[in-house]
Amino acid sequence: MSQRKERKQQWMTLKRLLAYLKGERKRLSFAVLCLILASGAELTGPILIKHVLDEYVTKQRFPTNTLMMLGMAYVSLLIVAAIFHYVQLVLFQTTAMHVIQTMRNDLFAKVQKLSLRFYDLTPVGSLVSRITNDTEAIKDLYMTVLSTFVQNIVFLTGIFIAMFSLNVTLGLFCLSLLPLIGLIMMNYRKYSSQSFLHMREKLSALNAKLHESIQGMMIVQAFRQQKRVRQEFQTINEAHHAAWMKNMKWNGLLLRPAVDLVYVFSIMLILSYFGTQSFTNTVEVGVIYAFVAYIDRFFEPVNMMMSRLATVQQAIVAGERVFALSDEKEEEVENRTTHPSPVIASGEIQFDNVSFSYDGERDVLKNISFTAKAGQMVALVGHTGSGKSSISNVLMRFYPYHSGEVRLDGELLEQFSEQELRSNIGLVLQDSFLFSGDVAHNVRFFSNASMARVEEVCQFVQVSRFIEKLPEGYHHPVAERGSRFSSGERQLLSFARTMIREPRILILDEATATIDTQTEEALQRALQVMRQGRTTLAIAHRLSTIQAADLILVLHQGVIIERGTHEELLALGGQYYRMFSLQQGIMEKIQLNSD
Amino acid sequence: MSVFADLFWYFKSEKKRYIGGIVLLALVSLCLLLPPNIVGRAIDQMKAGTLTKSDLLLYVLLLAIVAVTVYVLRFFWRVLIYGASISLALLLRNRLFTHYTKMSASFYHKRRVGDLMAHATNDLQAIQQTAGDGVLTLVDSIMMGSFTMIAMTTTISWKLTLVSLLPLPFMAWSTSRYGNLLHKRFASAQAAFSSMNDKVQESIAGVRVIKAFGEEKHDRDAFQALSKQVVKQNIEVAKVDALFDPTISLIIGLSYLLSVSYGSYLVIGEQLSIGQLIAFTTYLGLLIWPMLAFGWLFNIVERGKASYERVTALLKEEACIQEEAHACEKVPLGEISLALSTFTYDGANSPALRDVYLTIEQGMTIGIVGPTGSGKSTLCKLLLREMDCEEGSIVIDDVSIRNYRVDTLRQAIGYVPQDHFLFSLSIFENIAFGKPDASFKEVKRAAQAAAIYEEICQLSDGFQTLVGERGVTLSGGQKQRLSIARALLLQSTILLLDDALSAVDAKTEEAILSVLKKERQQQTTLITAHRLSSVAHADCIIVLDEGRMVQKGTHEELIASQGWYQETYRRQALEQLLEKGGSS
Repeated sequence: MSQRKERKQQWMTLKRLLAYLKGERKRLSFAVLCLILASGAELTGPILIKHVLDEYVTKQRFPTNTLMMLGMAYVSLLIVAAIFHYVQLVLFQTTAMHVIQTMRNDLFAKVQKLSLRFYDLTPVGSLVSRITNDTEAIKDLYMTVLSTFVQNIVFLTGIFIAMFSLNVTLGLFCLSLLPLIGLIMMNYRKYSSQSFLHMREKLSALNAKLHESIQGMMIVQAFRQQKRVRQEFQTINEAHHAAWMKNMKWNGLLLRPAVDLVYVFSIMLILSYFGTQSFTNTVEVGVIYAFVAYIDRFFEPVNMMMSRLATVQQAIVAGERVFALSDEKEEEVENRTTHPSPVIASGEIQFDNVSFSYDGERDVLKNISFTAKAGQMVALVGHTGSGKSSISNVLMRFYPYHSGEVRLDGELLEQFSEQELRSNIGLVLQDSFLFSGDVAHNVRFFSNASMARVEEVCQFVQVSRFIEKLPEGYHHPVAERGSRFSSGERQLLSFARTMIREPRILILDEATATIDTQTEEALQRALQVMRQGRTTLAIAHRLSTIQAADLILVLHQGVIIERGTHEELLALGGQYYRMFSLQQGIMEKIQLNSD
Repeated sequence: MSVFADLFWYFKSEKKRYIGGIVLLALVSLCLLLPPNIVGRAIDQMKAGTLTKSDLLLYVLLLAIVAVTVYVLRFFWRVLIYGASISLALLLRNRLFTHYTKMSASFYHKRRVGDLMAHATNDLQAIQQTAGDGVLTLVDSIMMGSFTMIAMTTTISWKLTLVSLLPLPFMAWSTSRYGNLLHKRFASAQAAFSSMNDKVQESIAGVRVIKAFGEEKHDRDAFQALSKQVVKQNIEVAKVDALFDPTISLIIGLSYLLSVSYGSYLVIGEQLSIGQLIAFTTYLGLLIWPMLAFGWLFNIVERGKASYERVTALLKEEACIQEEAHACEKVPLGEISLALSTFTYDGANSPALRDVYLTIEQGMTIGIVGPTGSGKSTLCKLLLREMDCEEGSIVIDDVSIRNYRVDTLRQAIGYVPQDHFLFSLSIFENIAFGKPDASFKEVKRAAQAAAIYEEICQLSDGFQTLVGERGVTLSGGQKQRLSIARALLLQSTILLLDDALSAVDAKTEEAILSVLKKERQQQTTLITAHRLSSVAHADCIIVLDEGRMVQKGTHEELIASQGWYQETYRRQALEQLLEKGGSS
């Protein structure tokens, strides 16, 4: 039952994959036309030769002109066949490539639309391989189905038409070969394809083991497990070897040798037929020639189709994975943009009783209310998981909040257009991700700022000195996500990337990692100038940032437990005061790790 | 072709399979010469009207025998030759893997995981093909080709053979030309594919930035441009690839034309019978495969040679860490004395460590702190002998670590690395990684000590839960604690925690540290950290800066004196308390 269901599922996937060809109808029909012409031209050749043999050679006639003409005709048929054959091959391949391009672009666009929640749960590697490797496997399907199956089926049909036109009875006999080939194919699918898939499974287990062992080799060695890991690898390697051997044997039984067996049987059939005929009638030698020539051509396509069956299976598996991704419902927050979208002018942020949850069960923000007036800086402090980042996620509209209201300049957050929001809220992430391309590209990041503007911004965040020291300055390539730069340098570059857009609102996710004092000072200086004239929401870890804030919100488990300026909070004598006093060394006797 | 000489050691060790396979191949080639001959004779007899029933029966019977014999022989040569080549892949892959397990850290620093994978997959595949398809095409094309030509010249006509083979060299020439062209274009198509792959990788890893800037459209455009490039390059490949079939059919067609026209001339001149002519065209069909195979052979052999050279070069590489001949096998107890004057990584400009002198008594807890890149991890790696320090020595229990067997040394050390790597095994197997026969009690104890036990119990499959892509996704803190449990289980005399508490929260850190304090009173513990709270309880703390030991003392001493430690302590104190939610 489940197997039948699985088969049905596979069949659905195959149909869905083939439906992608609809967009290529024109090119495809032209390709099929060329294919028919090429096959026709190729298959007329033996008939010409048959004619020569029966009409001239056996009858010992030798009219030079006619024969020359026939020779010319034969050569032109060859050339015509070659040209059309070439054209149709290129056309089919082009079609397949275009289909895959469409599929890839759709998939990429789809993945972009997925919510960050989806990204939180899905490893990067698997998404990448959906878009590239799986579609590559599907490409093989189109190439195979189009090039091998369509072509060969057309060709085989042509052979039968030619055979029937020569001799109906023998044509019928040859038709009886088809069930025999069908039987071999069925068995091939049942045993060879299965054992091939089995072997592939073992291979991917082998590769996974290998990959993991190489990655974790230092651990393996530190824990002295080399011998055990070696043995485990050997076991997997041997399992793969055994599966491979088995597949090779099935192929030996069912692939080429079996098809060639049928080939000799068909020669026997032809010989017996004409032999028996010769007892009563005279036979036309040319017809025998033509039949032998057609039978010769008959079996290569069969071989080709059989050897491709396993590819189809693999492509279907890849197709299932791709469709699972493109059917993913975890799409990004829908915005209820009003037209025209409100404009962020001054940059006032207002949270009114906002509650938010990632999983719909546990609230990570509970009734959060605060206002950041235009130009102010609000510092969020609290432990990991207290809800600091969630506030910035809500404000960035990365996730929807479920109750309360967020307003920018008095307008509801949902009403802003994507464009307005993204160009006016600048986010500086802890982990300053850089892209490949040169330094200028990373600063510009698709905005159409001039080079002068790039330099100006870099000067502004004080990263220009560092850039100018690079061998190629602003055109220095950023290799491997900027891993050659220090984390401070990366951070400054990401500041520049944000500032070039002159956002009205700045969201700053301060890095927790300790960096050296010099870089720290540079970052602080840059932040100071960046904050001028902007509303800033800082997820703060640095004391200097916190002290400079107009409003400090102390968060604990999604609730604001204290709020006020540095001075107010000190005067309050609460948690913040205790922390700060401790910091100042007033309570130096309290040990951090006192039990 | 020299790759066959390189692989000769294997052919020799598998000579039964190879010789057997080649003999069977020769028999197959001989058998295949029969059907055209039979068909030719039968046609001549039919035409002359002399074919009798018993003749026909004999011919059909002969064909049936040939068919079955060939089928059986073909199956067996495959088993022999392909079987031998598949076993070669097995052998080499095991050899390579064993070699990998013996290589030291510097080997892995120099190479990317992807390349090491490629050697064990693509390169081995190319070598296997050489030992399988390569041998087959070489032997078969020579035998099949020569046997067929002999049959054509001796049983039919040498003149006709010569004439009909005229176009064939052109086929070998053009296919090898296409092959070269294809190879080049294929490389650019591969390059286009891999830059598209890189782009996707980048876009997905940087999705937060792209979304924050609202630049999805531009990013999509950049991707589409690359995906278009992939199509373009692949169509370029297709344009060459599609040349093969038509060219081959054209040349074979010409060959048929020549044989039929010249053959007909000979038939009319009664130098040849019509049956022989038909047999001849069938022989011609048999020659196509050897011609194609020969062109193919060069490809296989070329790839095989390059791959074999790469793999041999890799296997020749020796591990940097060598053991002394009579190395000490007594597991040390844990008195460590470091005297490192300088240590510099290969290719680095400045030393990673210099003038580090320190004696650690058994049972002491040492804290090692300092900014990123100050040499903390390097110290751990030297202690583990992932690499050797040429200018300086590390002595444990009065024996230099170079005089221990590597295995013995590592037996003494429980190690928690900075990057908490876990294997895709169950949680139980991960914790028991260093001691696969550990009891459940031991594993549970280690998990408890690492403050991860309760969280494991909450998972649906408890300790049997799988880790990694096929299993649960663990947080950084959870992974880190599992990797601590893995080291604690060994109860080793020396424990190395390399920034191993960075992703756990302050409370958990405290819990883990208090267990360590209680249980490891008699054993040596080294803790490197960014967060000073991880080392505050240590008997001695050293501060590293650019590889030098700049401060040394207890927590109390260090916060009382001006310097990096005090400065950092002040900055972290507030952050630390904030983390605890202010509940001091």
